[in-house]
Formats: sequence, structure tokens, C-alpha cells
Amino acid sequence: MNAGLIEFLLRRAVGFVSVLLVLSLMIFVLARVVPGDPARMALGPAASQDQVDRMRAQMGLDEPLPVQYVNFLGGAVRGDFGTSLISGRDVTTEVLGLLPATLELVLATLALMLLFGVPLGVLAARYRNRWADTVLRLVSLVGVTMPAFLAAILLQLFAAYFLMDWPILGRLDRSMGMPAGPTGLLTIDGLLLGRPDVTLSALQHLAFPALALSLSGIAQIMRITRSAMIEHQRRDHVQTLRSFGVPGRVVTFRYLLKLSSVAPLTIMGLEFASLIGNAFVVEMVFAWGGFASYGLESILQKDLNAIMAVVMLSGLFFVVANLAIDVLIGLIDPRLRMKGGR
Amino acid sequence: MATAEPHGADAPVQILSARRMAWLRFRSNPVAVIGALMVLSVLFCVAFAPWITPYPAHSGNVLDFANRHAAPSADHWLGTDKVGRDIFTRVIYGFRISLLLVVGVLGVAVPVGAALGLAAGYFGGRTEFAITGFTNVMLAIPPLVMALAVGNILNPNLINAMIAIALLWWTWHARLVYRVAKSVAAEDFIEAARLAGASHWHILTREILPNCVAVISVKTTLDAAFIILFGATLSFLGLGVRPPTPDLGSMVADGRQFLPEMWWGVLGPALGIFYATLGFNLLGDGLRDMFDVEV
Amino acid sequence: MALLDIRNLNVAFTSYGQRTHVLRDVSLRIEEGQRVALIGETGSGKSVTSKAVLNTLPGNAAVESGAIHWRGQDVLRWPDSAREGLKGVEMSVVMQDPLSSFNPVFTIGRHLEDVLYWADRRNDTRRSRRDRRAHILDVLRKVQLGDGARVMEAYPAQLSGGMRQRVLIALALMNRPALLIADEPGTALDVTTQDEILKLINALVETEGLSLLMITHNLGVVRMMADDVYVMRKGVIMEHAPLAELFRAPRTDYARDLIAAIPPLYGPGVKDQPAAPVSEAPLVQLQGVHKTFAARRLFAPAQLTHAVRGVDLEIQRGEIFGLAGESGSGKTTVARMVMGIMQPSRGRVILDGTPLDQAFDGRADRRLAQIVYQNPGTSLNPKRTVGQTLEVPLRFAGLSRSEIQPRIDALLDRVGMPALFSSRYPHELSGGQKQRVAIARALAANPRLIVLDEPTSALDVSVQAQVIALLEELRSELGLTYLFISHDLSLMRNVCSRIAIMLRGELVEQGTPAEVFADPQHPYTRALIAAIPVITDAEDAAKPRVTDEEKARFLVSSAA
Repeated sequence: MNAGLIEFLLRRAVGFVSVLLVLSLMIFVLARVVPGDPARMALGPAASQDQVDRMRAQMGLDEPLPVQYVNFLGGAVRGDFGTSLISGRDVTTEVLGLLPATLELVLATLALMLLFGVPLGVLAARYRNRWADTVLRLVSLVGVTMPAFLAAILLQLFAAYFLMDWPILGRLDRSMGMPAGPTGLLTIDGLLLGRPDVTLSALQHLAFPALALSLSGIAQIMRITRSAMIEHQRRDHVQTLRSFGVPGRVVTFRYLLKLSSVAPLTIMGLEFASLIGNAFVVEMVFAWGGFASYGLESILQKDLNAIMAVVMLSGLFFVVANLAIDVLIGLIDPRLRMKGGR
Repeated sequence: MATAEPHGADAPVQILSARRMAWLRFRSNPVAVIGALMVLSVLFCVAFAPWITPYPAHSGNVLDFANRHAAPSADHWLGTDKVGRDIFTRVIYGFRISLLLVVGVLGVAVPVGAALGLAAGYFGGRTEFAITGFTNVMLAIPPLVMALAVGNILNPNLINAMIAIALLWWTWHARLVYRVAKSVAAEDFIEAARLAGASHWHILTREILPNCVAVISVKTTLDAAFIILFGATLSFLGLGVRPPTPDLGSMVADGRQFLPEMWWGVLGPALGIFYATLGFNLLGDGLRDMFDVEV
Repeated sequence: MALLDIRNLNVAFTSYGQRTHVLRDVSLRIEEGQRVALIGETGSGKSVTSKAVLNTLPGNAAVESGAIHWRGQDVLRWPDSAREGLKGVEMSVVMQDPLSSFNPVFTIGRHLEDVLYWADRRNDTRRSRRDRRAHILDVLRKVQLGDGARVMEAYPAQLSGGMRQRVLIALALMNRPALLIADEPGTALDVTTQDEILKLINALVETEGLSLLMITHNLGVVRMMADDVYVMRKGVIMEHAPLAELFRAPRTDYARDLIAAIPPLYGPGVKDQPAAPVSEAPLVQLQGVHKTFAARRLFAPAQLTHAVRGVDLEIQRGEIFGLAGESGSGKTTVARMVMGIMQPSRGRVILDGTPLDQAFDGRADRRLAQIVYQNPGTSLNPKRTVGQTLEVPLRFAGLSRSEIQPRIDALLDRVGMPALFSSRYPHELSGGQKQRVAIARALAANPRLIVLDEPTSALDVSVQAQVIALLEELRSELGLTYLFISHDLSLMRNVCSRIAIMLRGELVEQGTPAEVFADPQHPYTRALIAAIPVITDAEDAAKPRVTDEEKARFLVSSAA
């Protein structure tokens, strides 16, 4: 880590904080200002005016709007989003309990995206315009053409027909209960707790949802990797190494791959927002019971406090993922470290 | 100098004109041609749905319980739904809603995004800082989450969904056009135009914009596919047009209740979604190869 | 037996079903220890020839007939793997662009290590990592990169162009090849650095006993670097002669034109431009002009770059004022300040008696000053026809629609192009034609001063001569004044009526070309002139001498 890289990351961090600020303002306006009276919405039309007034005071709605926003922001920073208007429970506690499930799904998805997307992209670039490339490009087209919910449904159907015993709902066999591990990620907790059966079952449950969620990502990463590889293939430095007899596979898999990994990483960061969105649908189809399903529920039930928490957390997800990707890109590309910015 | 050619002895670098090159590239790409034909056929369906569908009335509130859940047959190519309506007819009509969404969203997002991208790339300085900063912030918002939130907090209908998507979609175009505009703005010919006294308006619309048309058109074509998917996802979740108006996403949601036995309830609309998005994707890929641009 | 013997080689490229014949019956022979030059202009096929020898032709190229004999054996009949074995071991290439020749995300050392490692594998040589490193450092020393350890740790972008060019040569020498193919080495670098690189290659050919195939467009370089010369044009070898014979008695018109097109540095052929009368009110005055750029950093004090320091100069009406200097000398910054595109940090720029900071928004009145850029490829908008490009200055000068078209035709005629070019797009034009359009655009505003920013450096010499002739004609007919910016001193010697030399933001010398070239005062000027490759011994002898000590003081060394 040198000054250039730190400067680059700091710049990005400032950008990310402003992302969260603007996001908070937008969701605040949307949830507190636009719909009229949140207290009335929470209590329903049958509640008396007295009840509504008490609710308003309890939610801090009797304060002026700027004060409400500051309160909301302060709460958000401390991780306090108030209580759910539907269940009456603390939103943060509820969300945190569901977070590991989504985290596990998203991490598995990212792993699949890299595991399949990058090698397939390299393969397609190496055999450009040959049959392998054509087949891969067509398959990737199906990937981007298939909405996540449809992929989820089709995969479920496929499992139901052809893999009779394969679990297609939930995160774990019911018989296993929910083992309380330190991370909340069942695959890892299974190992930590010495329960390989849990890990196995969790992986089985994870396979199809993660696949459904990653299909379009795999296709995109593959496409970007392919075009970056082909683009760099034309460069002089490839000629240099080739004309001194460094084998083509070394040039491809070492030199080109590292140079070409920046583009798919960047795209992965940008596409993270839609990945979170798709997680909402996939979790619903597979009854995953994660943070995203919770978000969907609360949106459909107009649980304003929960919606605000969910949106802010989605933003946080995006920001953290992109920060991680920036560190990675900074480590890959020395030019960023030298200039301290793009 | 004993040269026979008075206008420079060096030969033109490129013999074929750019347009001819592009057309050759497009034509030699069967995938792109297929994509173009698919898109045209979708547009045809949208325009002439009442005349080409076997049961135009089924696009509305028709109940024919005798024929409910009929499997695909010669009468009903894609079967019928839970109230006996012809799924094929409804899929063709469903394209109308999909394309309406596409036109509505892109009609707003592309001009807005392109204008902001151009301004940021050309003017630089604070304008650039403000626009790129704002764009990056908006990119961080999960569009599906936002569309759901906006739609449900306000009123779940197509117009609100359209507004919600358009509010976020322009960012991609702004980002893309910004990238191209910035590199074009740094070229000598822009400075030359300034020195020739050209106005900012002239430079933005006549010098820079034409250089961005290729990326914008490729991106717009690919976006059409994304938005069809997006709209289907929203209506699958219950945010979209009200029944009985046919909509591909809500048809999948309806059909899903009767899986796996009545599989055609999902198959028909799924094929519809697949066909339309595949067409736009193939066409977009073809255009990308043709213009030789990165999008 | 010749080391390399190319016989009747025919190569064609195919793109989108169109076949282009790029090499026609090319024959070329290199004996052991011989230095051979292959000279040609853009698109002559000289680089394709070297790629065919190396087996690095692009995928859409095909050798249609002919033979390439390496030590008596036709390598075109060899399997790819066997030809692979020659690369870097028997024959090595020195690439022309030292920046793009390295992968930016790997260190220089990584490149060198991998090349050596794979060459060893092919030669069944076993070497430890340590030995490999020692060998690399050894080779780096040969190319005068003494601080090899630092060079190896550096990323490509962290080295200067000259240093990268040296590393490229080191790469080529790694396994003591028999033949060195040098593809325009140093062309992208400053003339003094190029001179060092060429001398280094010559010395290495001598001490290592290599054969050399020198690919270049510069006859001066040929004279320095070759015993035997092949002249190539449009894929055909036009002429083959020993060096002295080619210069003394060229057999073809093409070779004669090529030699005639080179502006001489000294001798009877040199053209002296008449000096412009000195007036009380020069067209351009720079008074104590400074320009400082600041790069703001978060953790470090702002990095200041002093691009221009205290420049005073005057350009008389009707003059061709040459501003010479190497990259980073500040000559382009001066031009941009004269144009009013950039404001000086200190000092004043006065254009036709009006200080620029008082003129409308600091920009030079467009009727006064216009510019012609170096790169014809980027100076015209690819999406606009010639007519549309020329229309802009006319329309914004307030001409009506009916007045514009005749004026465009007149302008095109003025620069020697038929009116039908008005509807053509830039990609349909050659480099020279694009430059003519750029000149026409500058003329459209009826300026009095035209800044010529290296207007011919991207053109072949034959085209350069035509463009220069056009510029001279325009000046005398329209009474224009030129500020001519260039690094090409031999061209400036013949074109300019006065020249000034810039070094690191300062003017170090000023005078008429005759004075400056006959008796350069500043050691840097001497070094600059001495580094120019010339085509006769007489010119070489007339060049000023510089001591190594002076060189060390004023030139940025590319050695480490």
C-alpha cells in the first residue's frame, strides 16, 4: 500500500459515503414525505385518531421534517431503524438475523460468476470465431435473456422432475433445525461445528438459487472477459512476448488474463445493484428466508421503517462490494497506484 | 518533385467507406440479421396484434371455463390459462405492454443520460464533477428495489413503475456517453472548432454527438432487452398492469401456481419473454460488432 | 551461404472477403555479420516483411508463395514449433513503440524473466533463478542500464521512453541471436535519444558479432546503420544497392525522389528563407511569459511543473518563426498561449498590439490566429465531411448559406484539392490530403498568424515536401505569418526565417537558421544538431561537435 493507492481508495470512500447520504435522502423523502401519514398507514383505516397521534409521537413524526431526517440518519448510523410497523419488532434485529442467509447466497453467486464467467470468457477469446466461441456466445445470450425469476422457476422444475430428492426450498433440511454457528453462513458453520452433514445439505440447498441468480452475471462476465482479452490480444506487448518465443498459453493465461481482469471486476461492481434486486426474486421463489425476502415482504406490506432499512442496507452492500473491488483493481493495476486516481 | 499525383502521393488509408464496411460486417453476421428479423417480428406483432391473433377478445376479460387449462393444441398453440383464455393471443398482446415500457423508459432515459454525459464530458471541471458524482450515486441504487419501493409506496401501476425505472436507467447512458464524449472532447478537432468560433451548442450536437451515436444505439438496443426482463420481473412480483390486461410477467406468476402439471401456463409467456429479449440482444450484439465499439 | 535469404515472397491479407496483396516477389539477402536496411514509407510492407521472417504475421495474412531460407533451410516448410524455436534465439526483434511493447501490469523484470525462462526451456539450458537474474543484469549492463535491479522492479510506465527502448534491445540480446531485426527503433523518441539508441545498436552489432536488418523510413538512419540497402514501395522491392552506391547513383526515380525530398542540413542544397523586416510592432510579442502546472495531491504538496519559464520573443509580420525543442521543452505550451487557449501564469502575450488578457475572454481573435495540428488523424472530425468541417468557421463568421459553398470550393482550390472532395469523409483521404483540409480550415477564418504544430511530422517525406511547398506558397500569396513548431531541425533549417531553441521551458538560443546552424552558441543546440541523422558525409562533417560532458549536462540520459 503506498500513498497513491491510499489516496485512490480515500477518494472512492468519500464517493461511497455520499452514495449512502443521497440514498438516505431519497428513501427518506419517499417513505416519510410522499405517502402522507405513515402512522395512519401503519395502523390502518380502522384506528382512531388518538391512536394515530400516539403512533406519530412514538415515531417522531410530530417533529419538523429536517429534524426527522437527522434523527433517521443518526439512527441509521447507529444501526437503529426503529420498529417494524407490521410486526412491531426491532427492524435492525430482524434484518441482522436474516442477513447471513442473503450473504451466503450472494457470495456463492459471486463465486459462481467468477468461477464460470472468467474461464469461459478466456476460452471464447482463445478460440475466437471457432465453434467453441460460437457455442459459448449463444449460451451466454441465453444467460442474459433469461430473467432471474424464470431461471429460478425453470431450475426448480428441472430439479423437481429429474432430481427427485434434491431440495428446492429453504436453506437446510428441516430435520437439522437451524444450527447456531458463529458466522450464520450455514456452509461454514457446518464445518466449524463439526457437522459436515449440515454443510452438505446447505450446499445442496444453495446450488440452484445461486445458479439462478448468477446466470446473467456469468454471461456478462464471460462477454466482458472475452472482449477485454481480444482487445488486449491486439496490443504490441503480446507481439513482444510472442516474438521472443514465450508460449501463447503463458501470454494468454498470465499476461493477458491479469490485464483483462480489470474490466470484468469493474462490471461486477456496477452490476452488484441489479444482483441485489434479483436476489429479492430468487429468494422468494426458493423460499430462502433471507434479507431480500424480508425486503420484498416489507415493500409489499408498506412497512416503511423496514423498507428504509432494507434500501439503506442494499446500498451499503453495493458500497462495500465496490470498495473491495477497487482494492482488488488497485492491486492489479500499478498505474492506479502511481497516479492515485483515474 | 516528380510525382504524378498532385494531391499527395500517399494512398488513402482505407479503400472502403465506413458505411459500406459496417454494412459488410453486419451482413456477414448471420446472428445480427436474425436478431433484426426477430425484433421486426415483435414490432409487427405489437402493431397488428388484433389481426394476427386467433382470439383477439382473449386479451380482455373473457371467461371460458369449459376450456380452462387446455393443453397446447391446434386450436390453442400455447394452451389456455386458468380462465380458458388463449395463451398465444395473450403473449402477443403482452408484447404491447413490454414495448410500451421500453419506449417509455428509454424515451426518457436515453436523452437525459446522453445530454448529461455530453455535458460532463465536454465541459469538464465542476460540471463534470457534479454530473459524474451524481451518476455514480444513482448507479448504487438497486433498480429493482427502488422500482418496487416507489411503486408500492405510491401506487402499484405501470406508470409509476416506468417512472421508477427511468429515474435510474439514465445513469448507464450518462456513464457511457460521458466516456466517449470525454475522449472525443480531447481531440484536436474540437479545439479547432472552438478556434473557428463554433458555439458550445454546435460542438455538443454537431461535433461530439455524432461520434456517440454508435454506442448509444448499441446500448439502447441491448437496454430494450433488459427493460423487457425488468418489466416482466416487476409484474411477476405484482407490480404492473392490472388484470385482465395481458402482461408477460404476471402471466408467468399466474401460471406458476399450477406447476408442474399445467406447465404451459409458464411456458408460453416464458417463450414470449425469451423471444423478444433474444431478438434485441442479437441485434445489439450485431450492431456492436458492426460499429466496433465497446459498450 | 547467406544467413537469411528471402526469395520471391508473396503475402496477402484478407479482410471481409477482400484480398490485398501486400508483398510482391520480395527478395532480400543478409549475409553473416552484414548490416542491411529495408527502407520504405508508410504502407510499403517493410514491417510485414519482418513479421513474415519472424512468423508473427496476423491471422488474416497468408504467405502465398516464395521461400524464406534461414542458414540454407526454408523455414516456411518447418512446423510452427520449429519456427518458434528460432525466436529470440536465432533471430530477435527490437520493436518500435517502447511503451506499448510492455504489458502495463507486469514489472519489466517479469517480462525479462519469462522471455529468458522460455528460451532456456527450448534450448534445454538449465539455470537457477539466481543465474537467470545474474544473466539479465548482465544483459542490461550491455545496453547501458547499470542500475538493472531498479529497472527490473519498475513497471513499464515508470521508465522513460529511452530506457524502455534499451530494455527492448536487452530483450532481443538475451540469447545472443545471430540476427537482430530492428523495426524503426527510437522513432517514437526524441532525436537525441534516438541517436543514442542507434549508436548503441551499432556498437552491439559490432561487439556481439550480430547481423542486422534495419527497418526504417529515414534515409539518415540508413546511412548510419547499414552496408546494404533495399528500397521498398507498395510491397515491391524497388532497388537494392550497397549504401554508398544508393546515395551516389540511385537507379530508380523513386529512390531519387526519396533522397531529393530530404531537407539538407548543410551544403549547397540548403534553402535560406529571406528575413522579414523588423518592425516597431511585431505581430506576436511574449514578455516574460511563465506557465506553471500544478498537480494537486492529497498527501503531498502540489507537484509544480514549470512548463515555460521567462520566455521573451517577438514574431515579425511575414516571418516563419521556428520554435524547436524536444518533447517536454514547453514549445507546445508556448504555442497554446499564443493562441489564447491557455493563459500564462505570469507575463504577457501581445497579439497585434493587444494584450491577450484584455481581448475577449482571453482567446486570440479568431481572425488573427489559427492552428494546424500535428496529427492529421485527430484534427478532423471523422463524422463530418470536408465541406461540413470547412463550413464551421465560415458560418460562425456570419456568412450566409449561399456564400458558404463557393467559399468552401475556393478554399479547397487554394490548398490544391478539387471541389468534389467537399463531400468526402476524413477516412477517405490520405494523410497529406487531411493536412491540406486542416490548412484550409485555418485559412477559412482569414487569419494573419497560423501556428503550425509539427504539421508534417506524421507524414512521409515525399508528402512532407508537398505540404511545405503549399505552406510557403500560401504565405507569400496571402501575407501570412507562421509560428512553426517542430523537433525536426533539418526541416526548420530550410523552412524558417528565424528559429528559437527551447530547453526545459527556457529559450536557450535564437537567430536566423544560417547563424544558428553555422555557429550554435548553446551546447544544447550543438547536441541537438549533432544528433540529426544526415545523408552525406559532408553534412556529417559540418555538424557541430559536443563533448560528453556537455551532453551529460543538457540531455536527459536514457541510461541508468
